[in-house]
Amino acid sequence: MTHAHLSRFTCEEAFRRLDDFLDRELSAAEMTLVHEHLEICEGCAREFRFEESVLNGVRAKLRQIDVPAELQARVLAALAAEGAR
Amino acid sequence: MPEPLDAPSTTTTPSPADVGTLTPGGFQPLLLAVLSPAFGYALRLTRNRADAEDLVQDASLLAFRAANTFTPGTNFKAWFFQILTRCFYAKHRQQRRRPTTVDLEDTPDIYLYSRSAASGLPWEGDDPAARLIERLGTERVADALSQLPEEYGVVCTLYFMEDFAYHEIAAVLGVPVGTVRSRLHRGRKMLQKVLWQVALEAGIVADLAREEREAGGRP
Repeated sequence: MTHAHLSRFTCEEAFRRLDDFLDRELSAAEMTLVHEHLEICEGCAREFRFEESVLNGVRAKLRQIDVPAELQARVLAALAAEGAR
Repeated sequence: MPEPLDAPSTTTTPSPADVGTLTPGGFQPLLLAVLSPAFGYALRLTRNRADAEDLVQDASLLAFRAANTFTPGTNFKAWFFQILTRCFYAKHRQQRRRPTTVDLEDTPDIYLYSRSAASGLPWEGDDPAARLIERLGTERVADALSQLPEEYGVVCTLYFMEDFAYHEIAAVLGVPVGTVRSRLHRGRKMLQKVLWQVALEAGIVADLAREEREAGGRP
């Protein structure tokens, strides 16, 4: 892929930051550089979108937890017993 | 006793003004606010509802006894998850994660993307992996996560289930941020490989590929 400005990330430089970019763990300057790269590089943008889609999908599935209704009461009873000691 | 954490507050943690000094009365609302995510985390660690309930209760009691080590205004959730994690390892140190049958060494980057594109599954659009993950469903995704080697599975569990930043996961597990970053990077790749294998074995890949072909053949 060709790039208009040397100050912009190459595909390799952007790809190396994929995880940190999606997790917002990059500096503001690096976030901007990756954003700029994705605006001009459809190939990388497609890969980043797919990775983000996987992360969001897995996250949504794993957060579907059926919490037992009695758990809170059970914990509070245990704390009350502990406090009464 | 766990060391107090100095991580920033998250949206799920009441503000310092709400916390004040952590009295027994102040401890309870903080704990109740994190009980649901704590159970989810415990369930992924133990993979057993009864054990997860016991773990949450044990961690709650330990946290209650150690309440004076928590610094009000810092991240209660990360502090509690640290206690829960230590509690789990103390009780279940012998427990082995289910060994995977998938070779996880040298898993290439963007594994699901490459496989999806090569197999005729959706790989473009705004949410290209949505149908694949939806077909896999919660149980298969959770099972895939449980197949990762321990050090990667725990980091990925904290990452996917909570809104913890890298430094918060590092605080919960007591490891450097760089370790979290590298384990997460590798763990995510491993998870994609396991998910693909699970999707293949469940016939999901074949189903989605067929649906894509049929949709593409429409006028």
